[in-house]
Amino acid sequence: MAEKKQLRIATRNSGFIDPENIDSYIAAGGYQALGKCLTEMTPGELIEEIKKSGLRGRGGAGFPTGVKWGFAAQYPSDVKYVICNADEGDPGAYMDRAVLEGDPHSVLEAMAIAGYAIGAGQGTIYIRAEYPLAIKRLRIAIAQAQDYGLQGPDILGTGFGFEIEIKYGAGAFVCGEETALIRSIEGNRGEPYTKPPFPAEAGYWDKPTVLNNVETLANIPAIILKGADWYSSIGSETAKGTKVFSLVGKITNVGLIEVPMGITLREIVFDIGGGCPGGKKFKAVQTGGPSGGVLTYKDLDVPIDYEHLAACESIMGSGGMIVMDEDACMVDISKFFLNFTMEESCGKCAPCRIGSKRLFEALERITLGHSSLAELERLETLARQIKDTALCGLGQTMPNPILSTLRVFKDEYLAHVLDKKCPAGVCKNLLEFYILAEKCTGCTLCTKVCPVDCISGQVKYCHVIDQDLCIKCGACLEKCKFDAIVKR
Amino acid sequence: MPTLIIDNQSVTVPEGTNVLEAAQQLGIVVPHFCYHEALGAVGACRVCAMLFIDGPVKGMQMSCMVEAKDGMVVSTEAPEAVAYRSQVIEWLMLNHPHDCPVCDEGGECQLQDMTVASGHSVRRYSGKKRTYQNQDLGPFIAHEMNRCIQCYRCVRTYQDYCGGTDYGVLGANQRLYFGRFRDGPLESPFAGNLVDICPTGVLTNKPYRFTSRFWDLQEALSVCPHCSLGCAVIPGARFRELQRVRAGVNPEVNGWFICDRGRFGYDYVNHPDRPRTPLLHGEELPWSEALEALQQRLSELIDRHGSDSIALLGSGRASLESNYLLRRLGEQLGTAAPVYGSHAARDRAARAVTDLAAKLSASLAEVRSSDLLLVMGADPLAEGPMLALAIRQAVRNGGRVMLCDPRPVELPCSAEHLPCQPQELPQLLRILAAGENLPANLQPLADALQQAKRPVLIGGSDLLGAEGSAALLAAAQKLNSAERPCRTMILLPETNSFGAALLAGDGPDFDQLLNDMDSGRIKALLCLEADPLTDCPDRKRLLQGLEQLEFLAVLDHLPSLTAKKADLLLPTTAVAEGAGTLVNNEGRMQAFAQVFSPGEPLRFTGQGGHPPRNFSSTTPGALPCQAWAVLAELCGLPVNLAEIRRELAAKEPRLAGLPELSAEGPGQRVLPGNGASSSVPPAVATADESLQLLVCETLYGSEPLSALSAPLDPVCPHPYVLLQELDAARLGIAADDLVQLTAGGQQLALPARLSSRMAEGLVIVPRLRGTELESFYPGQPPLPCRVEKVSTP
Ligand SMILES: Cc1cc2nc3c(=O)[nH]c(=O)nc-3n(C[C@H](O)[C@H](O)[C@H](O)COP(=O)(O)O)c2cc1C
Ligand code: SF4
Ligand code: SF4
Ligand code: FES
Repeated sequence: MAEKKQLRIATRNSGFIDPENIDSYIAAGGYQALGKCLTEMTPGELIEEIKKSGLRGRGGAGFPTGVKWGFAAQYPSDVKYVICNADEGDPGAYMDRAVLEGDPHSVLEAMAIAGYAIGAGQGTIYIRAEYPLAIKRLRIAIAQAQDYGLQGPDILGTGFGFEIEIKYGAGAFVCGEETALIRSIEGNRGEPYTKPPFPAEAGYWDKPTVLNNVETLANIPAIILKGADWYSSIGSETAKGTKVFSLVGKITNVGLIEVPMGITLREIVFDIGGGCPGGKKFKAVQTGGPSGGVLTYKDLDVPIDYEHLAACESIMGSGGMIVMDEDACMVDISKFFLNFTMEESCGKCAPCRIGSKRLFEALERITLGHSSLAELERLETLARQIKDTALCGLGQTMPNPILSTLRVFKDEYLAHVLDKKCPAGVCKNLLEFYILAEKCTGCTLCTKVCPVDCISGQVKYCHVIDQDLCIKCGACLEKCKFDAIVKR
Repeated sequence: MPTLIIDNQSVTVPEGTNVLEAAQQLGIVVPHFCYHEALGAVGACRVCAMLFIDGPVKGMQMSCMVEAKDGMVVSTEAPEAVAYRSQVIEWLMLNHPHDCPVCDEGGECQLQDMTVASGHSVRRYSGKKRTYQNQDLGPFIAHEMNRCIQCYRCVRTYQDYCGGTDYGVLGANQRLYFGRFRDGPLESPFAGNLVDICPTGVLTNKPYRFTSRFWDLQEALSVCPHCSLGCAVIPGARFRELQRVRAGVNPEVNGWFICDRGRFGYDYVNHPDRPRTPLLHGEELPWSEALEALQQRLSELIDRHGSDSIALLGSGRASLESNYLLRRLGEQLGTAAPVYGSHAARDRAARAVTDLAAKLSASLAEVRSSDLLLVMGADPLAEGPMLALAIRQAVRNGGRVMLCDPRPVELPCSAEHLPCQPQELPQLLRILAAGENLPANLQPLADALQQAKRPVLIGGSDLLGAEGSAALLAAAQKLNSAERPCRTMILLPETNSFGAALLAGDGPDFDQLLNDMDSGRIKALLCLEADPLTDCPDRKRLLQGLEQLEFLAVLDHLPSLTAKKADLLLPTTAVAEGAGTLVNNEGRMQAFAQVFSPGEPLRFTGQGGHPPRNFSSTTPGALPCQAWAVLAELCGLPVNLAEIRRELAAKEPRLAGLPELSAEGPGQRVLPGNGASSSVPPAVATADESLQLLVCETLYGSEPLSALSAPLDPVCPHPYVLLQELDAARLGIAADDLVQLTAGGQQLALPARLSSRMAEGLVIVPRLRGTELESFYPGQPPLPCRVEKVSTP
């Protein structure tokens, strides 16, 4: 069942070939695409082919790859660069890692193709240092490709030269943003810069630069070999091909999936993912990592592509999918993700640096039960302002979790604000641990585990919890053998 | 030239202008922090938001990041834009301490202004503010990080514009920190600009700290007197004390910045030993009597010995007007023309430059936009620090720098150092001037020249001398064509060297004066803001000559050696205390306005008490007069600066623009002289085997005014001798060893410093005033010398 809905293009070789052996890749059809490009296609034809395929960037923004290459090709310069973005900063996402560890040559091949398309002789892979295995395999792959004349000054005797070096990132989320990434490889602080100029015009060392995500690149050889028409026959109206998602969280089948664009959320969560474990009700899924938003049980039939996700105040991002069941508190989830983006803000622009902190404080007050309706309204306005005015993608997307949960789960926010209750029972400050008189046997077990000694009562008589002293640790609830203690 | 509409007003601006600048052209002020004229935009602060109603971009945009385009309709007053801007200001104020009453920035704080302008007046935030530990950034800059609004201006100034590497942004998100890796003095000689650039009170002027409020200062547009570049400055005075200097704006010269010598060199004006009363043989006397005494002595001597027994000495420190009136006085008395400068070689070099320069000289703005800078025999950081910064901007714009210098010249940017022996420099210039082929080892230079579109040849008159300077100019003339302009910039020793040299014409120089003194013909010498006893390289002969004088009169504001020896001392004013004109090294006349009237600082007279307890009907120490006024009176002319300028312009056709000059504006170039291309200097014989001692100016400690400024004391170097590593190895000398230097009949024990980047066979000592090295003079041919090791530290 699960396999049926999937279609593997970017991950076509992962798990099937020996990633440390170039022959294994070649046997699977590797480097044929490069050969075809260099011998049968002009750079212009190549760019047209990629445009026609409808491939869009898999790093998050979904910019048409062929168009990007076209721009970089059109700026005259003696030196140009191809950069592969392997920073993969979203927590819980490991699509790029899987490709790099399972099929490093496909990325190297695609980079050389990109180099040929735009007239670049040098490529750089910016990879996070926390991916040692991927780095090791890339190194092996580069050395083997050089040995085979598939990389170097004269590839396949065509006179086209292309060389690739590896640069390490130190794990800053913002360094995945392209302008920050370029700053980082140049040896500077990884801070985003306002576009335009886009890297395609002035990027690495101010030279025309094509910057593509690992997964985007991994699609390229397949497109060249099987043709743009084949590729564009897969997917939805606006998004062609497939997308790799990492399906994690409260889901039965955890792991990477590659599915055609336009597949519905229902197919992913239920047909492939097998629904939430333990028979819990599916509530929502966070797409696009911490700067994405949630799709909910109401959106199960939304086709997954860039435009539909945007309409739900979320983003495709790099393809993380974190599934939440009925036990998740949406306010708490927003706060959790915001905490991540707030910490990862580079601090350069005011809306992101200061605004994120204000958002976080506002959410915290909601989860503590200290908020008001007016403040909730301010929270939403502020979130919109930040979205509209932050300098880079990090700041512009950081309010997404808030905006998208507000869209569907406003009632949960209101419950926190007005009733001072957390419907999912997650926000501790809004909880009450309560002993049901009719069930309590007076066994005294709870008084022994309470760390603050706030439960009183005589043996064999009903016990009570002093709400003012209770720290809501839940120890008593776990200990009670008679289900006499409830959370509400 | 795009035309756009901002707030219903149409404006046309040059291509590449951003919308914020376009609005400013219309007089619409929109808050902004991170944008700065000199630094450009980065879009960090997000306060310059405007609503873009129509055109290529729409919605709320940061106006500094949007290039003005045809058809744009923009509103700065749209409610959402106004609301957003005040929102951001409120954000910035959340963490900002409310310590304005004790903050030095108060009154000139951009954050204060913008906060008031945005209408944010009620604090809604009740949370905890973020706080930081401050750093000790050395003697010039105080650090108060809590006030920071993270606009990044300091980093962009310090690192990008000035090339400093030891200050920057650290941390991320809420914990951004602007400072150094660890406490310690800022290394860049342009660090003081952080004071001007920081829009809040994070980075303030340490020596000036807690002395005055901005609005209490007397300020005026002035010109920096600490080198020949003539940067625009705005000195600030209060309580009869010059308390600080900030950068003025002159897009043609310094742009928006100045160097730390210019910023912290002001304290000579407040020097406690400064002459403040007329003195006749050490006795105080009123001005009227002093002038009478002077006139009487001079006419007596003329009666007895003839008018050629009187010699007049002007200087490159004195203003154009006073130097001119000195000449005028000579004409009235019938004396020989004044000598302009106590150092004959420097004087001759300056004259060589004035001869030709105005036609070919580059402004600093032209240096900044040049694509090839050949720096030959100039040490910009020492001889004209802002030139170093201008060169850096050229490099940032893609320009190339090639250095030919026997010294290990440092620049705040990358440069190709072509090693060269001192005697090779004139030879190289000779070849360039003659249009001959350069030797093979200089092929890169020849290639670079070939490709350059706007080359500038840079030299220093101290190392090149008159012949070298003339050759540099001749080379520029040779390389200059209508399609490919080639310009020059030659650094001169003093702030008004150009003006003085221009007035000197083909008059006598100091060597002639020394001869005349030797022969006993000179009986009286009148020095105008000149200190021959410190500056004349032949001090022994000068001392003998002075012994034979019957009368030495000195007009000066410095407690100089010559002033101390004077029979009659007439106290004059410093630049900030008067008005006048200075001509910078490119021949740019710049007028300066009076900042304050002279007087002994309250700090001294009040013994530190406040308010002052001693009362008198006169201002203490207020007697110094502007030199030009004193001279005008001696000449019997009306004491009227405008009239003097008119008269001078009429007499000197090259100074035609002088009467229209004002302290505002970028100044005006003198007209080109008729100096034809000078003869190409002959090849120079190579030096003999012995070590050669070269005396060089340094950033701090060489220039006479700033050498007397207390705030610079902590950064003034101690005497040392610099040896080439290979020579040192031959002599068994290691770094920091104590060595004995024997040269010019003197022996000095000095610590050794080593460099691998200087020419072999060369020994360098800095010109350091007030130290044992004062008796070594720059601007002289190298002296044969000996160096021996004395001891290891
Ligand atoms: C905050 C932020 C983080 C990003 N992180 C990544 C990343 O980890 N990997 C990635 O490929 N793209 C990331 N991107 C997207 C890149 O900026 C860029 O759009 C992408 O690498 C372009 O490649 P593509 O066209 O192939 O998608 C990030 C963007 C933002 C704003
Ligand atoms: S949005 Fe955030 S991460 Fe991006 S530049 Fe602004 S502060 Fe930095
Ligand atoms: S220290 Fe001053 S200049 Fe630097 S970022 Fe802070 S406020 Fe801006
Ligand atoms: S001035 Fe435009 S963002 Fe700072």
